[in-house]
Amino acid sequence: MRGLVAAFLAVLLTSPTLAQTRDQLTVDLPADVATMDPQIQWDTDSATVYRNLFDNLVTRDKTGKIVPQVATSWRFENDTTVVFDLRSDILFHDGTKLTPEDVVFSVKRITNPVFKSPQLSQFDQIVSAEVTGPNQVTLKTKSPYPVLLAQLVKLSIIPKAYVEKVGDVAFNQAVIGSGPYKLASWQRGVQTNMVANENYWRGKPAFRTVTFRAVPDSATRIADLKTGRADITRGLSPDDAVSLRNEKGLDVRDVATERVAYMFINALYGPTVDKRVRQAIAMAVDRDTLITALQQGYAKPVDVVLAPTNFGYTNEVKAWPYDPDRARKLIREAGAEGAVIPFLTSPVYDRRLNEAVQQMLADVGLKVSITVVDQPTYLKRRLGTPEEASSLSQGRWSCGCLDADGVIFPLFRSGSVWSKFANPAFDAEVDAARATLDENVRRAHYKKAFEIMHEEVPAVGLFQDEAIFLVKKDIEWTPTPDEAFFVFDMKYKN
Amino acid sequence: MRHHLAGRIGQALLASFGVLTIVFFVMRLSGDPTLLLVPEGASAAQIAELRHQLGFDRPLMVQFAAYLADLIRLDFGESLVQRAPVLGILTERIPYTVALAAGALFVALGVGIPVGITMAVMRDHWIARLLQTFVLAGQSLPTFWSGILLILLFGVTLRWLPTSGVDGPLSLVMPSVALGAVTMSTFARMTRSAVLDELGRDYVNAARARGLSLREAVARHVLRNAAIPVVTIAALEIGNLLAGAVIVETVFAWPGIGQLAIQSIQSRDFLVVQAVVLFVSLVYVACNFLADLAYAAIDPRIRSGE
Repeated sequence: MRGLVAAFLAVLLTSPTLAQTRDQLTVDLPADVATMDPQIQWDTDSATVYRNLFDNLVTRDKTGKIVPQVATSWRFENDTTVVFDLRSDILFHDGTKLTPEDVVFSVKRITNPVFKSPQLSQFDQIVSAEVTGPNQVTLKTKSPYPVLLAQLVKLSIIPKAYVEKVGDVAFNQAVIGSGPYKLASWQRGVQTNMVANENYWRGKPAFRTVTFRAVPDSATRIADLKTGRADITRGLSPDDAVSLRNEKGLDVRDVATERVAYMFINALYGPTVDKRVRQAIAMAVDRDTLITALQQGYAKPVDVVLAPTNFGYTNEVKAWPYDPDRARKLIREAGAEGAVIPFLTSPVYDRRLNEAVQQMLADVGLKVSITVVDQPTYLKRRLGTPEEASSLSQGRWSCGCLDADGVIFPLFRSGSVWSKFANPAFDAEVDAARATLDENVRRAHYKKAFEIMHEEVPAVGLFQDEAIFLVKKDIEWTPTPDEAFFVFDMKYKN
Repeated sequence: MRHHLAGRIGQALLASFGVLTIVFFVMRLSGDPTLLLVPEGASAAQIAELRHQLGFDRPLMVQFAAYLADLIRLDFGESLVQRAPVLGILTERIPYTVALAAGALFVALGVGIPVGITMAVMRDHWIARLLQTFVLAGQSLPTFWSGILLILLFGVTLRWLPTSGVDGPLSLVMPSVALGAVTMSTFARMTRSAVLDELGRDYVNAARARGLSLREAVARHVLRNAAIPVVTIAALEIGNLLAGAVIVETVFAWPGIGQLAIQSIQSRDFLVVQAVVLFVSLVYVACNFLADLAYAAIDPRIRSGE
């Protein structure tokens, strides 16, 4: 009880801290950090905050190319073995040196099933990590794993000695990394404060202190930007962006991300088992109208279920053209006129898009019946048997790995929980693309996989989602497709 | 009195048990929580493994028994998303919610009761009509809208108050007004009708006949009698203020229980959602219990069971 009273007083007596100077950067995020430990949660808001505290084995440059960070170089000894040479001049925030043992520890911890990291599926192809020289680490994978480096971009290196000393729970509360910022304080649900790591090996950060605040309502975040209470925010809607285009002193900055919006079509059950009905649906959906009317132009159409940012994207496979007449004809041929098409969705997905698609399909003679259920029920049915999964639903997908393997494999490979599609030729292509490191061979397999998807239509690619930021005009920073948010890359224009 | 109290405690305990049971089954019947916790690309084997680890593959009654046993030990489990004890996550937020509820109650009582008395005493005066409009507005403006309007006016245009967050006592002003508005209207209307009710009684006429002014009669005699329904409503409204701040806390980025509920639903933090629902339900049960006690304390007829 005394604790509660003290906390209550603390609430009322917190002094104003957000002095706005050019030394301080304040970021408004839609949610607080779930875990500060970078090896547990990987939701956008958590990663946005904690990645500033750590270095990664490798990283991406502005063009998206994978470049050195803790590792200076790497070479494949064979298809399943890769050797990394590491920097020897990196210090953790407690002054200890970042060693190959820390890298091995970071890999082993996140891949240990007992640790139950939600990121395990991204790293579980790694079967061993060993120190093989004074500044060298060797990783081995189960089989050739082409996405390994793309996954390692997200592997934060954590200090072995410190984590072992304090334990996982205390580490999460007071993390130590080797990144450009040090954690100063984390008030759960409220805000995170960081101070610059003056001895950072890549140079001195431009901002001395950074605050990340949790502000769930976008209208409030915009008000914070307008009053100078915050300098950057993310998660604006296209409507917000349109209304803020001419706001004095503020910039709307947007970037097409790797998240792709698509319409799932059940190929294994119901009226959509007939390929002609699926093709007709693909021809009846007018993507350009969806983008101009619902997204205010803040989206780019895609021809396949993959964003152009991802490896494996092809522009040689085109979408079915918007052609309601031909769609009507196909539906007649299939004897599906007036067929009832169940459409399953949950409040997580944009209702307007569902209704627009319903209208578009009604125009070609299909009766779409939308069922809205809560998210657990939605997932239970969507991930359940083909009979449970309904005929249509909306989806948004990002693997965070910028590779086709993380998108069409889990969504359409038969046997995967999301897949309601069984095509041995498609399975063979995505399996083969996963089993080799040769980029040209992989591209060829994905091209064939997308050709099969085009003909069979287990889904219709709609558009590439945009991330929309509101930024103080005189801050120099350009958002990237992987939605990385490194304060180290930001500074005031002079 | 003792008999009355024992009965009420028994009822409150029964209601609490009912709440625990409903929360448990509703959260299970709505779907498999495991699916909310696995990452998007997980395989069927990984899902089955996690389901087993979490014990969601056991028979429902076994899970229910384990859940009750945990609750008795005040063990709400560990949040799988935040990797911290659920009880700690919840209690960290309580002071914020209590501060906001206190602020809102201050607004509601401080404005609502004087406004209610004025509306009753000056019944046909234009001031009463004006106040009635004001009360109606407080009652009917949805908080997600009035909150944004307050932010735009006092935060963005006038720059008197901080637009969001927890930054000293000034931060509490707008959320308290936004949250307190509806409750204020309830108090004003309750007070008005209670005072009007009493004003028509013989003892008021007797008091006036003794030479007391209307103001004195109201202050000395009417208010005490009019307080009975108002106090009852107040106890229930405290429950509303503690539990119903979801929207206000979201709009003003106020880190209380309501915001925690939204955040945990969005991050699919199953055990935290369950704990929040339990907490809010028990607050309601407790406030109802207090309302009963207060009623009995003020009105002797209730105690003696007449």
